[in-house]
Amino acid sequence: MRIVIIGNGVAGMEAARAVRNREPSWEITLISEESDHFFSRTALMWVFSGQMSHRDIEPLERDAYQRLGFRRVRARATGIDIVSRRVSLAGGHEPIAYDRLLIASGSRPRPGPWPGSDARGVGHFVTLQDLDWYEREVHGGASRGGGPPRPRAHADPSAGDSPYRFREVAAEHRGQLARQPAVIGGGLIGIEAVEVAVAAGLRPHFFIREEWFWPIALDRREAQWISDRMAQHGVEVHLEHDVEALETDADGNVSAVRTNQGRYESDCVVVGIGVTPNTGWLADTAIELDERGGIAVDEGLQTSAPDVFAAGDCASVRWFDGTRRPEQLWYTARDQGRVAGGRLLGGVPRYERGTWYNSAKLMDIEYTTAGLVNWTLDRESDWFFEETGKVRSTTRVVVQDDHVVGFNMLGRRWDHTVLIRWIEERRSLDWVLAHLNDAAFDTELVPPLQVLRA
Amino acid sequence: MDQQGQDGLLTTYREGWRNRSVVGLAISALLVSFYVVLYWEHKVQQHFGVAPLTAISEAAGLRNRWYLYGFLYSIAMIMGGIYYLKRHGNSRYNRFRITVNVAIQIALGFTLPFIMPLFGGQELYFSYFWPLKYDYLYPQTLVDLPLYFALYTVVGSLLAAPVLAVLYGKRWYCSWVCGCGGLANTFGDPWRHLTSKSTKSWRFEQVSIHLVLAIAIATTFLIGLDWWIGGDHPAFHRIVAGDHWQDWSIKSFYGFAVGAILAGVIGVGLYPVFGPRVWCRNFCPMAAVLGLVQKLGRYRIKVKPDMCISCGNCSTYCEMGIDVRSYAQTNESFTRASCVGCGMCAHMCPRGVLKLESVTRKRRSTP
Ligand SMILES: Cc1cc2nc3c(=O)[nH]c(=O)nc-3n(C[C@H](O)[C@H](O)[C@H](O)COP(=O)(O)OP(=O)(O)OC[C@H]3O[C@@H](n4cnc5c(N)ncnc54)[C@H](O)[C@@H]3O)c2cc1C
Ligand code: SF4
Ligand code: SF4
Repeated sequence: MRIVIIGNGVAGMEAARAVRNREPSWEITLISEESDHFFSRTALMWVFSGQMSHRDIEPLERDAYQRLGFRRVRARATGIDIVSRRVSLAGGHEPIAYDRLLIASGSRPRPGPWPGSDARGVGHFVTLQDLDWYEREVHGGASRGGGPPRPRAHADPSAGDSPYRFREVAAEHRGQLARQPAVIGGGLIGIEAVEVAVAAGLRPHFFIREEWFWPIALDRREAQWISDRMAQHGVEVHLEHDVEALETDADGNVSAVRTNQGRYESDCVVVGIGVTPNTGWLADTAIELDERGGIAVDEGLQTSAPDVFAAGDCASVRWFDGTRRPEQLWYTARDQGRVAGGRLLGGVPRYERGTWYNSAKLMDIEYTTAGLVNWTLDRESDWFFEETGKVRSTTRVVVQDDHVVGFNMLGRRWDHTVLIRWIEERRSLDWVLAHLNDAAFDTELVPPLQVLRA
Repeated sequence: MDQQGQDGLLTTYREGWRNRSVVGLAISALLVSFYVVLYWEHKVQQHFGVAPLTAISEAAGLRNRWYLYGFLYSIAMIMGGIYYLKRHGNSRYNRFRITVNVAIQIALGFTLPFIMPLFGGQELYFSYFWPLKYDYLYPQTLVDLPLYFALYTVVGSLLAAPVLAVLYGKRWYCSWVCGCGGLANTFGDPWRHLTSKSTKSWRFEQVSIHLVLAIAIATTFLIGLDWWIGGDHPAFHRIVAGDHWQDWSIKSFYGFAVGAILAGVIGVGLYPVFGPRVWCRNFCPMAAVLGLVQKLGRYRIKVKPDMCISCGNCSTYCEMGIDVRSYAQTNESFTRASCVGCGMCAHMCPRGVLKLESVTRKRRSTP
């Protein structure tokens, strides 16, 4: 049995390992354009700043491919022939034949829609090649721990549109490292790009179109705290700024960001306005994509083509609310990879997603969410509590029809599994507040939260 | 936590002296030389005619070079403690732990042993137990010690230390009390990310630490035996307990190989190369005993399921080289014998996945 997996990310790797666990002799091929080794995309910011080395963000030991008997092909897939069952590759590689195929090609950054978005000195923060670019602009290169592997593998023009191409570096043309970076887009990748620029000793501009930071997850009060914290660290937070153009100097290096509120000098711009499924290379293939560009899959992650499955950021899966769209999360990619592995083995597992949850760290403030928060439901109300003193935290409980439907917590750690259980048990607000500390997950010696009810 | 003390953490790998650069290696060479002179000053004196550390100690009124060492040790822990708090002080566990650990070193590791002889007493170390302080269970030592301290040592080493490790894990000692651990966590903190996480290094550790434990037990046993029969068997006595370096008795060999080379020269000297817990992880017999006990006790690191993003902050900053991520990403709460409960993995985790806890198996809500 020949298993081929396009994508060496968490979804692809998880599937490959699931297959290997059960079938020691099947031929498993992993195709990756981006890197030789599986790594944690979630950890790019720490490699950039120097909190971790590149090797530290690889969860497996370097000999894992050999030990697990995975064949690795480092190349760009350019299409799939679902009749003759072959994956075609760029760069003169022979096509690869499959019996069962998994597409796990992830996301790509959404390009800036403004004039000047392709200027030298404008980039993203999603792929290893983006990391390489941003490191060169700000630090002049990798940390002592070593950066991503640097062979300029994708200098060939056929990869012109690839998210894994290396970019030209404005700092190298100017002969001077970036001094005034700007980050556009008030989401998670944006705040990470900003935080690491601060750690590099700079005072970045942070342009956010909305009224407050990350409005799909935070309310105004919560976002205010995050914005204040960013400002304390030296970030120039610009809310309600609509970018209109990126200006360049005579050499073609970016020189300023122009918004509806003014012009801001800048010599390095990170565009963090979201990601889209990385499926452009499937355009000429008979595999169905949905209107968002995600690969349409059924409950068992099967695509419209026989024996072809999709998992991770590139797949449009069914959400708990019944809609179909990609879930751009690490652990959902891992779960989907496991299910896809079961399908590649010939089983019929289904991918089922329960209640929504997530966590993050916004600058140095811990964040946990579970359930329906900021969904503006009918008859919903918020219960909000701000703790000050030894620990600063905020607690927001969303209530609908007398039972709790969501939690948004900043400043402390919570066990999302307990919060989710309470949501599923339709607990009342009173009950939840009386038991809240049963879900606490703070490190030892942190005094428990004491909620004061008016 | 609403604290910002994270100075220099994000830029760890961008600082050469912390990453085996020429400067880092020079610091290591300096430390190694210091220990060589400290342990073999008599040789230095033979060859060069000076005993530098003794000269400095006497000039400073510190009686002998071991007090000078204790003094420098305490200074290194205080300075390192301040450095540690600047980097990791935004956690109450870290703040409490380091404060207690440094205070114990100053009080029990330096001041008390320095003062006791002034009042005609012996120089005694209340913060060290057998088998780390290996001579405290030698029969002759026990006889020479004041009775209360002999009892303290026997009960402490054989009963209290393991019982506390069952209840709270080995951390009660390795991360809150012990001077070796204390130095590693303070002065050694700049290099904590350098500890190897490879499977090879784990295998090495499992063999080496238990080997040293076996040697420690055998040495103690033989010296005990020598106490009974040594008088009648001079050859046995000389082989087991001859007192001079030149004799190469088992006793002096243990002191040389374990006490000086492994704990000092390699254990501290190589901080900037292999990370700060070289001794604790690979050689310390006390850590070996407490680790075995810890496996049976209440202590564990709890993993919050399906939240880990495999970033690797926990593994990178584990000074014991435990690949914490490999447990976290498979939702496996775990107890590893080598874990000293420093709490750093839990503190570093950007998704709040990990939590140290000491609870009975029955009370655990998740497996
Ligand atoms: C900066 C950043 C921070 C993040 N932080 C978090 C977080 O905190 N929490 C969270 O849940 N999620 C986070 N995410 C999202 C998370 O990283 C993704 O959801 C996850 O990595 C998706 O995994 P995947 O396996 O689907 O795809 P990817 O990891 O994107 O892997 C795609 C793979 O496909 C290969 N590939 C793609 N196209 C081709 C082609 N044409 N030919 C050959 N190979 C190809 C690539 O080489 C790569 O190996 C973050 C993402 C970023 C960028
Ligand atoms: S596993 Fe965690 S608590 Fe244990 S030694 Fe490593 S970092 Fe410290
Ligand atoms: S630090 Fe946390 S999120 Fe990162 S690998 Fe470790 S447990 Fe997972």
